[in-house]
Amino acid sequence: MSRLAGWGHAPSPVWAVIRREFIQRVRSRWFLFATLGVPLLIVGGAVVPIWLTSRSEAAARTVVLIDRSGELGDAVAATLGAAGYTVERAAEVEEAEARARVAEGRVGSLLVLDSTALTEARARLVSAESPSALRQLGIRQAVIQAALERQLANTSTSVERVMGGGTLEVETLRGASGGMADPAFAAAYAGSFVLYMIVLIYAVAVMRSVLEEKTNRIVEVILSSMRPWQLMLGKIVGVGAVGLTQLAVWAGVAALALATALPAALRARPELGQIAQLRSLLPDPSFFLYFVVFFLGGYFIYSALYAAVGAMCNSDEEAQQAQFPVMVLIIVPVFALVGVIEHPAAPASVVLSLVPFFSPFLMFARAVGGAAPPWQIALSIVLMALTVLGVAWVAGRIYRVGILMTGKRPTVRELWRWLREA
Amino acid sequence: MTDLVVGLNGVTKQFGRHTAVDGLDLNVPRGSIYGLLGPNGSGKTTTIRMIMGILRPDEGRVALFGGDPVESARRRVGYLPEERGVYRRMKVRELLVFLAEIRGVPRPLGRRRALAWLDRLELSGWTDRKVEDLSKGMQQKVQFIATVLHEPELLILDEPFAGLDPINQDVLEGIVLDFHRRGATVLFSTHLMDQAERLCQRVCLISRGRCVLDGELREIKRRERKGVVAVAFEGPDGWLDGPEVIGREVAPDGAHLVLGEGADHQAILRRAVASGAVIHRFELVEPRLHEIFVRYAGPRGGG
Repeated sequence: MSRLAGWGHAPSPVWAVIRREFIQRVRSRWFLFATLGVPLLIVGGAVVPIWLTSRSEAAARTVVLIDRSGELGDAVAATLGAAGYTVERAAEVEEAEARARVAEGRVGSLLVLDSTALTEARARLVSAESPSALRQLGIRQAVIQAALERQLANTSTSVERVMGGGTLEVETLRGASGGMADPAFAAAYAGSFVLYMIVLIYAVAVMRSVLEEKTNRIVEVILSSMRPWQLMLGKIVGVGAVGLTQLAVWAGVAALALATALPAALRARPELGQIAQLRSLLPDPSFFLYFVVFFLGGYFIYSALYAAVGAMCNSDEEAQQAQFPVMVLIIVPVFALVGVIEHPAAPASVVLSLVPFFSPFLMFARAVGGAAPPWQIALSIVLMALTVLGVAWVAGRIYRVGILMTGKRPTVRELWRWLREA
Repeated sequence: MTDLVVGLNGVTKQFGRHTAVDGLDLNVPRGSIYGLLGPNGSGKTTTIRMIMGILRPDEGRVALFGGDPVESARRRVGYLPEERGVYRRMKVRELLVFLAEIRGVPRPLGRRRALAWLDRLELSGWTDRKVEDLSKGMQQKVQFIATVLHEPELLILDEPFAGLDPINQDVLEGIVLDFHRRGATVLFSTHLMDQAERLCQRVCLISRGRCVLDGELREIKRRERKGVVAVAFEGPDGWLDGPEVIGREVAPDGAHLVLGEGADHQAILRRAVASGAVIHRFELVEPRLHEIFVRYAGPRGGG
């Protein structure tokens, strides 16, 4: 790595700083936990119970079917079979025996189709313990579907489609309207919030790192062999690379979960099929692209600001106070987020989302929700890039003077002087 | 003119109303071991920080290897600051490799050198331990290694021996002398006069931000011969106090008296005889650095 980017033959100190920040952080227990542990816990929390119940219900999945209607038995048996049940047909006279088997737990349940099943979709379910709502729903739908199919056999009605809830194709002519009910905006809201959290976490990590070097004075040794901007740049890039690594791992785990765990869960619990529609609500690839772009923009802006805050303080307590103005800047978009999502096309939303300090969260939400025209997204990215340069210029100057300064925290007037003098 | 590694010319640095360094001239010739001596708060650390470009002088000029103290010059220096900093959570070897790398030592070479130095300072068992697991003395040795890993031409050490036990002081002294033998220049500050006396060829004595005495140690001692009287006596000792005496060190068999500038030692002898003391010894001796220090930097000294 250093050989590629070195100046002449000497390794570049910036690479050394980047590597140190990256390796030290990635190796920490906290990183391992947050990066691998959290997603595994979430996936595990969702998948394990499904898996467990599917194991325990293997016996319970057998349904004894008694058909008193004399018409629907085959159709119901077929639907239940497709839904993962083992169906065992029995004659009416065997009902008492079947009840006994259910009571002993040798079969899961007994389903009796009433004589009025064809006209009223009436049936009786006998099971040892009360069946889950989901199971009741599945069995009920199987009966309804069989009845309707029989009644409408000579028409071209697709009962399965109608029963599946029909189809409503939504076409919007003037862009997305916004609001939490819109799945794209729900994803935008969640995404924005996660963005805010990780931008803040990593920007504050930069501040802490600057502060650590300053308070333990190792910075005097480090700056005897590189310029302050090199140290600041290396630190920001190194910590940012850790953030990107974490995002990549999270995205990978999510993809893996969708690719393996979800189908496995569906196999185990066919009645979850309805939930599988959730898959259509999942964000498309552009979500991740926007996420990375706006993470980089937000991270570079705020980490540079936090680096400057760290450089002008001498202790954690001082930094707590000094970061207040930056904190206000990053919190404004969080408060504005709900409003922007409810009214993504309102002039105020457009203006706020174009403010570079807010764009990482607000323009992200509008872009993911599909409410921002491409030119606005492009403009916000350009403005963010320019702001990164401006913030780097200002923060670099504050950092340069502040990092070796001890004693009292500078006043605003002193900061202004640092900017002009440097 | 000799080749100067460090040159300060009329350098002044103020912090608010307090003048920390006041018109200081300092010239460190190549290949010398130079001691920056002075009491606490005399401006030694401020001076060193200006040489390292950490502080900018308000007036005057600082030259490092003949130019401004920019990074390319500072990288040739092994700098040990007074306030020692480490990354506490890094492993010892990683810290050393990192600090060598930012001064241009490729990683494999840095690793080899780090292991060799850790071995030499009897820290080889701690290579892969975290810095925070080390004792303070061990951390100080690690910091010292970090200072010399890139084989600098100039060592600038701010109070390098403070807080070390005598055995480790000797070890580090040996390493400093080793570097000097191989051609490096050494500039270090201390208020431990015995150490300075053993190590230094040249000294600059700073008091209240000014250089009050500067030159070759041997020369200075010769010049200051009249400044110290060794006495051995019986009887009253009231005569030891007088306007000529600005410092004294009492030993079981007598005392060393440090005399002020231009003091008349005969006056002391007359007073001793008059007091009735029996004088066994009254001799002008070559002063120890400690005594010169007291003479120039003490409360009534020439600062």
